Amino acid sequence: MLAKITQSKTLHWLGRQLSNSEDPRAFFDPLTAAMNPMWVQQYTPARVERITAETADTKTFELRPANRWGGFKAGQHLNIRIDIQGVRRTRTFSLSSSPALWESRGLITLTIKRLPGGLVTNWLHDDLKAGDVIGLTEAFGDFLIPVEKKPVLFIAGGSGITPILSQLETMALGNYPEPVTLLYYVRTPNDVIGKEKLAALAARHPDFSLDVITTHESSTPRYLNDHDLDSIPNLAAREIYLCGPKGLMDLATEKLRQRDIKAEQLHSTFFAPPAPAQISSSDIGGQVTFSASNLSVDSIGDANLLEMAEAAGLTPQHGCRMGICHQCTCTKTSGTVVNRLTGQVSGPGSESVQLCISIPQGPVALDI
Amino acid sequence: MNTLNEQQLNELQKDLDTIRDEVLADLGERDANHIRSMVRLHRKLEIGGRVLMPFGFIPPVFLAATASLGLAKILENMEIGHNVMHGQYDWMNDPSLNSQTYEWDTACSSESWRRTHNFEHHTYTNVIGKDRDYGYAVLRLSNDEPWRPRHTFQILNYAALSILFQWGVALHELEAEKLSHGKSHLKEKRPFLKLAAKKAGRQAFKDYVFFPVLTLPVAPIVLAGNAVANLIRNLWSSTVIFCGHFTQDAETFTEEQAEGESKGHWYLRQLTGSSNFTGGKWLHIMSGHLSFQIEHHVFPDLPAHRYPEISEKVQKVCQKHGIHYNTGSFGKQYGTVLKRILRHSLPERITRRPAVA
Ligand code: FES
Repeated sequence: MLAKITQSKTLHWLGRQLSNSEDPRAFFDPLTAAMNPMWVQQYTPARVERITAETADTKTFELRPANRWGGFKAGQHLNIRIDIQGVRRTRTFSLSSSPALWESRGLITLTIKRLPGGLVTNWLHDDLKAGDVIGLTEAFGDFLIPVEKKPVLFIAGGSGITPILSQLETMALGNYPEPVTLLYYVRTPNDVIGKEKLAALAARHPDFSLDVITTHESSTPRYLNDHDLDSIPNLAAREIYLCGPKGLMDLATEKLRQRDIKAEQLHSTFFAPPAPAQISSSDIGGQVTFSASNLSVDSIGDANLLEMAEAAGLTPQHGCRMGICHQCTCTKTSGTVVNRLTGQVSGPGSESVQLCISIPQGPVALDI
Repeated sequence: MNTLNEQQLNELQKDLDTIRDEVLADLGERDANHIRSMVRLHRKLEIGGRVLMPFGFIPPVFLAATASLGLAKILENMEIGHNVMHGQYDWMNDPSLNSQTYEWDTACSSESWRRTHNFEHHTYTNVIGKDRDYGYAVLRLSNDEPWRPRHTFQILNYAALSILFQWGVALHELEAEKLSHGKSHLKEKRPFLKLAAKKAGRQAFKDYVFFPVLTLPVAPIVLAGNAVANLIRNLWSSTVIFCGHFTQDAETFTEEQAEGESKGHWYLRQLTGSSNFTGGKWLHIMSGHLSFQIEHHVFPDLPAHRYPEISEKVQKVCQKHGIHYNTGSFGKQYGTVLKRILRHSLPERITRRPAVA
């Protein structure tokens, strides 16, 4: 083991000397990518095997990642990496298949809903074809089913069902010995994702009860209410998992707190599409987090990120302060910024921005 | 320097910003494909050169191997490294083409180059005393600098600088001329020297230790081939760069002229301080499109392969404002560079034409 580490360290050092890159694998990638995109080393390539429609606006993408991919636990997500019109985009999606499928057949699925105006989700729906290769990161996240077997309640809304599909299937395969209930909120019956899968699970496992609640079938929306929770036997003893739009998550959290559900019993994963960005001076500004320096500041007026970093006592690299020299370019890990020169609004994910001409629009996190 | 009034300068700025905005709005797959195909070509040339070099005891193979490796280095330094480090492809969000993390195949570290070139040279273009690229502190290229006897044989300095160009650029930030005048101290330069030694060591290790040792029975051939490849790259890049700002009609500026200037004024200085040369597609690629130095200086962060197509628009803007667009064949432009070096070897009282009586 030690020999292996020293060997790879030496190799890494040598690779850096020869290719001038922190990631020596990047040297051959441009050539291997052209020959066979599945040979790329910088990230895990995955071939699209099959695409199936779940609902009118949701599709399941079956992928075969390169063998070296590290696998995942039910409830985790990963980042996909694709190039749209020359721009690399990364976005996070939950794995909707069970880890068993990966272990037995080397396949995983992502179930993705088309977001109105969403650049990446629409591209995935319209342009990604079977046979194409996309990039993946390793899986991450701690929205995991209980190690110690306890009764479970899942509360899902819309496409928030995706990690829960993976969890339910995994629990079924392991013959989970405790009762499991799913409250699934959808707008109309046509919006149920994983309909057959859920029905089959409910038919086969008497301990699993499924309650699909449609919210928009009558003139007044019917959201989660006390009655829904009253109907769950032994609620206080359950581990509770929440995944869905922010409104549902807030409502459920509040109602559960009122019933003295302990915070340790409650598991949630944030799942909300970013609000469509608008260019207007009124929605400029927001809290900026410099994650590498562990600092957080509130922006004043239309101050740019460079000014804010400096006001916070940081000394990021910079030069011209007018958007020419790119010395101030750094990685924004989350949030959106407006480019002062072009008025263009960035995407919400990770990308490089020029500090001196970027103005925060809502909370922003930077890798400095 | 042309004199434009404030209103004209504002108009000039608007005209050039329009060109810039059009390109920015159109960035996409075409640009990504261009830089990626250049990277692929670089990999093929470098791998080809490295693989052939040990067989260099066959003379034609030696020629092919050194040419391949030399071209690889030129392509990587000029069209890929230089342009990527200007941030021309940052919008692609690809970590291997990011201006802040890219490290190129030459002795100068990217970090030092970003300070001396990207910031100093591009902000203070041709401002005597502030732009240290102007003559690289070893050449006197304008009357603004007083003549000294040591300038007499500066053509030899120029030759030496060209041959060792990558090392000259690597040590640029040391500001040796200030050190020798006691205006700065070696102590302040320690962090830079550490960085420079690391990068230079890496370059020397690769070309002069690792690959020769790897091919031990033919080590001298590999060593020689690598040295020649580096020489080819040095001569070419130095020549291209000298043609960019030191031609006959490229103007120089005083610090006062550049003080507190507006964006329009800055644009005007870039336009008149730079010079182009004409040629075919591959001449442009191999010079990293610095053959379009004027466009590069006006828009340093637009993808360089766009310069040929925006050049016509830039020329029209120059015409409109009565600004000289300095261009000519490669040979002609280089000729004026040599003339400039020679002319400023001697004091003005000798080179000035005698007044007509
Ligand atoms: S400081 Fe120059 S681009 Fe930001």
